[in-house]
Amino acid sequence: MTDTNDAHGRQLPRAFAADISTDLTAGRAVELAEVYALDAVSDAERAAIEAYVSAAPEAERQAFHERVRQARETLATTFTAEEEPPADLFDRIVAQLPAHSADVSAPAAPAAPPPVTDQLSAARERRDVRRRSAGMRNWLIGVAAAAVIALGGVGVGAYVANQNDPLTQVLQAQDVRQATVEVSGGGTAIVSIAPSKDALVVRMKDVPPPPEGKVYQMWLIPKDGTSPVSQGLMDAEALSRPAVVKGIHSAAALGITVEPAGGSTAPTLPTVAAATLNA
Amino acid sequence: METPNAPNFGAPAPPGTAVDLNRQLAALLERIAGGDQASFAEFYRLTSRRVFGMARRVLIDPELSEDTTQEVFLQVWQNAAKFDPASGSPLAWLMTISHRRAVDKVRSSQSSTDREAKYGASSQDIDHDSVSDEVGSRLEAEAVVRCLETLTETQQESVRLAYYGGLTYREVAEKLNAAVPTIKSRIRDGLIRLKTCLGVS
Repeated sequence: MTDTNDAHGRQLPRAFAADISTDLTAGRAVELAEVYALDAVSDAERAAIEAYVSAAPEAERQAFHERVRQARETLATTFTAEEEPPADLFDRIVAQLPAHSADVSAPAAPAAPPPVTDQLSAARERRDVRRRSAGMRNWLIGVAAAAVIALGGVGVGAYVANQNDPLTQVLQAQDVRQATVEVSGGGTAIVSIAPSKDALVVRMKDVPPPPEGKVYQMWLIPKDGTSPVSQGLMDAEALSRPAVVKGIHSAAALGITVEPAGGSTAPTLPTVAAATLNA
Repeated sequence: METPNAPNFGAPAPPGTAVDLNRQLAALLERIAGGDQASFAEFYRLTSRRVFGMARRVLIDPELSEDTTQEVFLQVWQNAAKFDPASGSPLAWLMTISHRRAVDKVRSSQSSTDREAKYGASSQDIDHDSVSDEVGSRLEAEAVVRCLETLTETQQESVRLAYYGGLTYREVAEKLNAAVPTIKSRIRDGLIRLKTCLGVS
């Protein structure tokens, strides 16, 4: 089926197919931004679009998000139906409010944007007080410099068949959000963070295999200033598979280093990739 | 012309306009993130009519609309810290959350019969029925009406059915008896035309 919606009756290069996956394969993800912003896709299609975009080249991803943003502004400006809710609705809402987690130790989101820097500098201060370890400070500075957090506010959703495995649970969590982190040496690490599952998923994209005799090692950097905790190794083969990291509520950041085969007990700096978690 | 959603919330704006509202909402969200209930109450006062109004259009059922509104504001309370001014205005953020909730609910909890009845209702509706005394807001309303007129009728219809009908592009195509790719194009082209006319940047 071809799109004949063009005013001049031409077939446009941007012409849509009948189904979303064909559009994505044909490189039309950006053209789907408006349909996506309008929620005019099924859950499965939304998930497919998000999975595609999260792994897309930087320029394409940015173009998509920009078009989505503009479409959402347009919709909020255009559709402005108002109706007074029942008078007691606000009280019913307040009665349900969970205790707000303004304290630093709680797993939920801390202060207003951008919280990442504050959290990091706080963590750094605590750490400096505890132990004057140059290595640790460098680690945190590395984290701050390398983190490129994209808070999309949208779930990655379901594109893995099995509903119950930890990977799917993270990717389908209501609160999942995504960070795309540059890996020095090439490629990106896509980190999907689901605070409600106390877990995250790391997917490597276009990351070269570690040098001969080396592996990638993942670490969680605790909020309380204690030493990074190893979360496992990734060799050349494991790079192509998503990795699930659990127990993130007490972590300030995720870091990835290159270590000798077999891994290390403490990270060798600098990190090749790092993401603040704000989990 | 007025650009209702220009991201510069710091600039002076006439009261009652979207820019003015967004600036207020952004400040409130910051305080809500810190657990300030008074700011939450003010945020609710400023936006609950919009959220509930949209939910009613999509869901029709008053109870489901109340449930949705309740869920939306609980989400605002919990996720205020995640609001990122760089990715849009507070109002767009709120309405994105709201629409998604309403659509999820309408797709999961209403029978096809209810939805069939509802398409009829929502497709009759006008878009901009909020009446305000504020001059700025009236000008914005007029701009929307004028800009909607730059869309073809079929573009308007497709966008409206998706927004207030909660329909997927496939369902819109079925309802309008049109080809599926055509509906995707209408939605895309319609929204882009609206965006350009409204000066959304």
